[in-house]
Amino acid sequence: MGGKFLSSVFYLTFNFNFQPFICGFSMTNILDDYALMSPLRHRNNWLKLVIVLFGLLAGVSATSPIPPFFIAFCMSFAAIALGKAPMKLYLKLLLAPMGFAIAGVLIIAFFSGSGPELLSFKFLGYPLSIRADGFELASLVLARSISGMCCLYFLALTTPMIELFAVLKASKLPESVIELSMLIYRYIFVFLDMALSIRYAQTVRLGYSSFSRSLRSLGMLGSTLFVRSWEQGDKLFLAMNSRCYDGKMTLFEVKRPVGASELLLTSAYFLLTLALLYLTKNASIV
Amino acid sequence: MIILETRDLKYTYPDGTVAVQNLNLEIKNGKKVAFVGQNGSGKSTLFLLLNGTLKPSQGEVFFHGVPFKYDSKSLRDIRKSVGIVFQNSDDQIFAPTVYQDVAFGPANLGYSKERVDTCVQQALEYVGLSRLKDKPPHHLSGGQKKRVAIAGIMAMEPEVIILDEPLSNLDPAGADEIMELLNEFNHFGSTIIISTHDVDLAYRWSDYVFLLSNSKIIGQGTPADVFKNTELLKKTGLRQPTTLEIYHEIERRGLASGGNSPKTIPELVNTLKPIDLMWVDVPPRVREGDSLNLGVMYGQYATQSPYEAINATVLHIHADGRAIVELKRKGIKAGGVLIYDTDSYSLPEIKQILKEGEIVFVGAMGKKSKILAEQDGVRLDVSSGVIDKTILMALCGKRCLILTAGGMVDHAFKRIKEYVETSGIEFTVGVVNREEGCQWLEEIKDNPETLKI
Repeated sequence: MGGKFLSSVFYLTFNFNFQPFICGFSMTNILDDYALMSPLRHRNNWLKLVIVLFGLLAGVSATSPIPPFFIAFCMSFAAIALGKAPMKLYLKLLLAPMGFAIAGVLIIAFFSGSGPELLSFKFLGYPLSIRADGFELASLVLARSISGMCCLYFLALTTPMIELFAVLKASKLPESVIELSMLIYRYIFVFLDMALSIRYAQTVRLGYSSFSRSLRSLGMLGSTLFVRSWEQGDKLFLAMNSRCYDGKMTLFEVKRPVGASELLLTSAYFLLTLALLYLTKNASIV
Repeated sequence: MIILETRDLKYTYPDGTVAVQNLNLEIKNGKKVAFVGQNGSGKSTLFLLLNGTLKPSQGEVFFHGVPFKYDSKSLRDIRKSVGIVFQNSDDQIFAPTVYQDVAFGPANLGYSKERVDTCVQQALEYVGLSRLKDKPPHHLSGGQKKRVAIAGIMAMEPEVIILDEPLSNLDPAGADEIMELLNEFNHFGSTIIISTHDVDLAYRWSDYVFLLSNSKIIGQGTPADVFKNTELLKKTGLRQPTTLEIYHEIERRGLASGGNSPKTIPELVNTLKPIDLMWVDVPPRVREGDSLNLGVMYGQYATQSPYEAINATVLHIHADGRAIVELKRKGIKAGGVLIYDTDSYSLPEIKQILKEGEIVFVGAMGKKSKILAEQDGVRLDVSSGVIDKTILMALCGKRCLILTAGGMVDHAFKRIKEYVETSGIEFTVGVVNREEGCQWLEEIKDNPETLKI
């Protein structure tokens, strides 16, 4: 959950910097919005969590790269075909962590392991070689990280934050933490809107025309935002009070029973993965 | 009956700014009240005092004659009965989804889960947002956010609803929907209080107006009285309502008469009626004061409907046998307004009415009816300011249909009926699918020219 929140904030800041400013700014670039529009949003949250958790554990405990790749394929299929996440966006999202994973995997492949050489060449007079063990390990690491990412993206793209509050509540977190997270979630967007309008107001008056000016403007933006959020807190208290707030915000959950088809599909997926895990226990791909 | 009252109310902010002072006011039950004043005249502070959020520095507020107490239990009761909708919806909507936000108030009142659910569903259906109940607020438009804020208050079933600048930042269509909604609550008995600096809105909509300036009430009364007083308006820095200003200008040029202050465009049009005089040739035996039947006129001679039966009263007979007569017109193929209650809706029936009733102008009031019409492809000629526009069309001899539901049916019927009675211009108005029957249908027997359904 924390991961999802962070990734969505990461994505926000990412867009904040690189998207050309559009008045009122287009909200469709936020990960959470895809989750809100996804048809899988209305399925049981616990089922989704169990699927993701199973995928993560199975992926990590696999000793051959085949089961993790299978999990990655299934999760991607579920996110794109069933969850209606745009393919382009999905690939783009995978690309960022993929870069890190591949860099790491290359190092593992070239610099670790023993056994027969699979490939060797000279690079600037320095001999480089991939050995069977190293290759095995590298492909396993790659497969595990991809399957992990796909599992998390499946959750992030089908389960918006607002659905997770009920999960937080059921996990016996203190009420005040849940209330706070609900309010914070709501006001992230209010303040984001505010920050963007301030930034726009600064940009049209050349606030970002040089590096030193940018720093100054950014500082002003921060301080204004701080004061505004302070005021907003006052207003919030007023608003809650005028509707008889008594220190407790009730969370209303929507009942979403697990359907037979969902159960069937999930069990089939679980069984297949387990079977693959068992069959590839001692298998080697080289 | 007086529902809210203040006596000698004064409020000073901690920094010493006086926000309201010497405030004595009485608000009657079931009225539509507008507080008009410039920015910073103390409207918002007054509203927070009326709902017990702020405690007055001096003086008292009464609800149903009982003074406010400021212990937590009494405050709860007050806030349940007097709901307040803030100017900025983002300040008011704080829950992550629409449903959760609307449920906040009822849940705080300690209702059971089922009761909260019914309250929320009803409120959302009322404001036409049932489909958006699982959306987060940042996915809504300004008008939708406003409706969520109103639903959040409505779900607590207050007796008085206070709205601070309800139309700020709304587009005309959104503004119209909000005002329609407020009229409907009022029709069911809620007292509505709004603040605004839009004099046109206050003049047209309210039953009673308070003028605020520099934290004091400097004028109050019916909108017609208050806005007639130009000196008072100057003091508050406001201008006269546009309709009133136009009326005064054309009255000064002798083009309008009627005396009463017209509030809506149909009323304004109705004042444009100088006595209709005409030179005619009369038969020799006619005396002054006699009535003449001039027959049926059409085209440029018929000013109010396509065909008019014209009777004339002879005022003066000239020596050459010509006379000045005053015309009395009666439309033959008069226009009319039919109101269709969409609570019992059937598309074939509407199609039949449109066809056989020779309806040329269709309007819809209320979100529900508009959605129905859109779904079934009923072409709407008008969806805002519906009552006024249909009256204007009916005056021109057109036949109009209004699709609406619930309390709006009675509201529309009453408004149009009132217009017919006060203006003296005859056109038919009726509700189609109600058990009491439709006057329009009965009139067919008297006059074969009128509509057959």
